[in-house]
Parts: sequence; C-alpha cells; structure tokens
Amino acid sequence: MTGFLTLEMRRCVRDVRYLVIAVAMPIGLYLLFTGLFSAHGQRAQGLPQPTELMVAMIAYGAMWAVFSATGPRIAQERAIGWARQLRVTPLTPASALSGKLITALAAALPAMLLVALTAVISHHIRLGPAQWLALLATMWAAVLPLALLGLAIGYLAGDDIAFPLTMALYFALGALGGLWMPLSVMPHPMQDIARILPSNSLAELGWQIAGGQASAPTAVLVLAAWTAGSGLVAILAYRRRAIRPAS
Amino acid sequence: MTSAKTTPAAAAPGPGSAHAGQAAVQAAGLAKSYGSTVALAGLDLHVAAGETVALLGPNGAGKSTTIGLLLGLLNADRGQVRVYGRPPSQAVADGLIGAMLQDAGLMPGVRVGELLTMVRGLYPRPLPLDDLVSLADLESLLRRPAGRLSGGQAQRVRFAAAIAGDPQLLVLDEPTAAMDVQARRNFWAQIRRFAGRGRTVLFATHYLQEADDAADRVVVIAGGRKIADGPPAAIKARFGDRQVRFTLEAGPPALLATLPGVHAVDHDQARVTLHCADTDATVSSLVSSTLRWSGLEVGGPDLETSFLRLLGEQS
Repeated sequence: MTGFLTLEMRRCVRDVRYLVIAVAMPIGLYLLFTGLFSAHGQRAQGLPQPTELMVAMIAYGAMWAVFSATGPRIAQERAIGWARQLRVTPLTPASALSGKLITALAAALPAMLLVALTAVISHHIRLGPAQWLALLATMWAAVLPLALLGLAIGYLAGDDIAFPLTMALYFALGALGGLWMPLSVMPHPMQDIARILPSNSLAELGWQIAGGQASAPTAVLVLAAWTAGSGLVAILAYRRRAIRPAS
Repeated sequence: MTSAKTTPAAAAPGPGSAHAGQAAVQAAGLAKSYGSTVALAGLDLHVAAGETVALLGPNGAGKSTTIGLLLGLLNADRGQVRVYGRPPSQAVADGLIGAMLQDAGLMPGVRVGELLTMVRGLYPRPLPLDDLVSLADLESLLRRPAGRLSGGQAQRVRFAAAIAGDPQLLVLDEPTAAMDVQARRNFWAQIRRFAGRGRTVLFATHYLQEADDAADRVVVIAGGRKIADGPPAAIKARFGDRQVRFTLEAGPPALLATLPGVHAVDHDQARVTLHCADTDATVSSLVSSTLRWSGLEVGGPDLETSFLRLLGEQS
C-alpha cells in the first residue's frame, strides 16, 4: 500500500497538466484579477479584494489538483487495462480507492500553498499564524468532496470524455461557484445555485476564516452532502467498472 | 521441446511451495451468460499444483470467461471455483495468483523498475528483484518509461509484473498474441523456467502448436464446454487435422475415403477437401492412384474445423 501510494504521488508530480493548470493558472489568474480590478475594492464578506481573490484562487487551484489527479487519470487506467491488472494483485479495492484519494488531496496542497505565497508576496496579505493554519487546513479538508467527485468521474466516464468532462466541470464550478466573480454581482437564482455548489462552499469557509469569523453552517452542510453523495457514487462506480475495460 | 517438459508427478513443488499435493484450481459446473449469450455452459476444470495446463479453444470458446472467473474478476451464474481451496478473490488477496490478462496495460507515467518494485511490494513473499529481472530478461528495460515500450517489451514487463509476487499459480490469457516467432520462443522458455520452480501455470491459447509445446496437459473448450482433456500428443492427434484440397477431374469419388490417413471427405461440387493426419502419405497415394486431379493445395491444422467437427460428433 505504501509503495502504491508513493508511486501514485510521484506520477502526479511528473504530470505536466497538473503543474501548469493547478499551479500556474490560479497564480496567473490571481495576478491578473488583482491587477485588473481596484486593489481597494471590497468583495465577499467585506474582505479586501486581494484577500478575497486569494481564497478564491486557492479553492480554484485545489479543485483542479484533485480533479486532474483522479478523473482523467483513472479513466485512462481503465481504458488501457491497468485498473484490471491491479485488480488481480493483492491490493484491496479499499486500498486502491484510498490511495487515489490521498494522492489527490496531497496534490492539492502545493497548489494551495503557492497561491497563498504569491498573495503574500505580491499583495502583502497579513493574517495571524493561527488564522493561516485554520484557513489552509480547513480548505484542504473541504476539498474532499471534490476529490470524491473526481473519483466518481474516473470510474464512470470513458477515457475519451473524462478529460473534457473534468475540464468543463472545473470551469463551471469555478464560474458558477463565485470564484471568478463575487456572488453579489450574479442574479438571484444563480446565487441560490452557487450556494449549493461544493466550490462555493469551499471558498466560503476560507472567506469566513480570512474575515475573522468561524461559522458557516450552510457551507459545512453542503460539503457534507457532496461528500456523502460523491463518495457513494465513487464506491458504486468502482465496484461496477474498475474490472471492465472502458467500452 | 519435449526435453524441457515436466510431467505433473515430476514437478514436485519447490522449496517455496506451501501447497504441495493440493489442487491449484478446482472448478465444477461453471456457467456464465452475458445477456442471451452463453459464454460457459457447465465447465469442470481441475489443475493440480505444479502442472502446466493449456486451455485451448477457438475465439469465443469461453477461455477468457473461465480465466475471469478463476481470478475473481467475474462471478459465475452457477457452479463453483476454488483456487488452492479458497474463493478466487481470497486467493488473489493472499498473493497466490499472478496473472497476465489480455490487453491489460501498464501503469502510465512511471519507469519499469518503479512499477515492478511497487507490484512486488503488494505481495507477502515477492521474488527478489534480481531474480525477476533475469527471469523476464529485463536488464535493459528497468529505466524505460512503462508507457513507451514496444509490444514485445511491454509483454515482458507484464510477464514480470505477473510473477513479481512469486505466485503459486500463474494465469496467462493468450499471452503471445502480440509476439513474433522469436519473442514467442523466448517467452515460453521464460514460462518454463518459472514453472520449473514448482509453480502451477494455466494459459489460454487458440494455437494448438503452442499448447503442444508448452503444456503438460491440454483442456480443449468450445461453445462453453470442455470437449477434450488429455496429454498434448493425444489432443494433437485428435485436433491436428490437416487438409488436402484439389479439383477432382475424373475417377470414382468413393475412392477418396480409402486413401491412407483420410478420416473425412468434403465436397464442394468438384472441389474436394480431404481431412487427414498425415498429408504426406495422403498426397503420395493420391499421386499414385488412378484419380485425375488438378489445383492441389495442402493446408495446415485448422482448429476451427476440428472443433466444429468434434462438436458435431458430440451433439
């Protein structure tokens, strides 16, 4: 199991798609957006804009990290028959699934930290040590439902559509979840939709902590529901599809 | 070829074998359908520990389904299969089985050496890496990316992955399908070296010659049933049907069946096909007979035809 996990992580680090999109893109967008809009404007939670955008881009980067480590990768492994080959080794299904999950969560961490570092350097974001720790730890934990969603896609979608599907979901959850622009500028029905998306809830937790508050029961509830739902689908899909080649 | 063969009795389990005398595979009445397509219709299969057994049959005979069932990848509709006395998934989890599946790929994005080290780590008593490298002839491949190998190289790595855990039972589903003649010869030499360590090998093939060369025993399946089971020589005599074809210009057709070695005659108008075991004897007697003929062709063993004939005889 440890060998499987370390090798999975090593693969992930070597993946160029991961490096470019998960790390470079949120950093680039952060610098772009903070440059485009007035740095003194206020957005969600009454946070200064550079702080608000930092949290949004941490969420954005973490989201792609867990998606890219799961969906397209697993679909490819199923298509080429590696998933089947792994099934006839003593690696248990639980270990295989948790190995993928842990790798995905680990992949999110560098993306999150580098966005935060960029924000600190470029816009001198100042939070207390405890606040930083709470922010990053909470957001890291809150990526779990998105990682499970990626697993579910990997075991459900064919190799040909897994990558575009993951990409589309990444953009949709980013835009509709209020990571690109604040919810307050969206029409009301869209705001309601945003509030039940895991991407918005992930960022909402971060905004609350960055703003010095620590209570977002709705966001926690939404994330818990997505965790349960995605986890269930992922497990069912794994049991049904892992052994068969994608067809 | 025959010198390298071992009889089941001679292949006493090696020092590493903890399962001497036990059946490696014991299957009874296995049945499996996909929708309305019957893949297996009540298959019995017994493989003793230490044996090398070929599962021979035409495409669609049920070979891959049988293998899927005994690896725990599929569940049978009826019947039972035990591998070393336990359910297949348990035997897999216990590291008793290694398998080379048809069209199974390798982990992308890693080197061959990394991949094999990881797979070894999944088994309780893996082969030492040096042994693995020499058994599968991998010295030159260890640092290569697993996703960028030629067909033959990938096959060697897949073989290495299958034996990395030093399994008691090695299962191979049409392992030589992508290989040229030389690669095939090397591959079977590797399998014999592995089997020589007292391990059990079960492989599926649709080549009679391959079954004859590599196996101690051949189990022939067709239409989801076992239609023959015996030593390779006996199976070859029964299924190694060759054909002599020609156009009969003149002469009594009744004479054809009396030519030496001929056991069946087919007519397609004047075009005649003789099914025979020894085509040399048949052709030379044809030449010296009073028959007039043209357009002579001699064909090799045709398993499909043999299977169909045998299935016809049985029903």
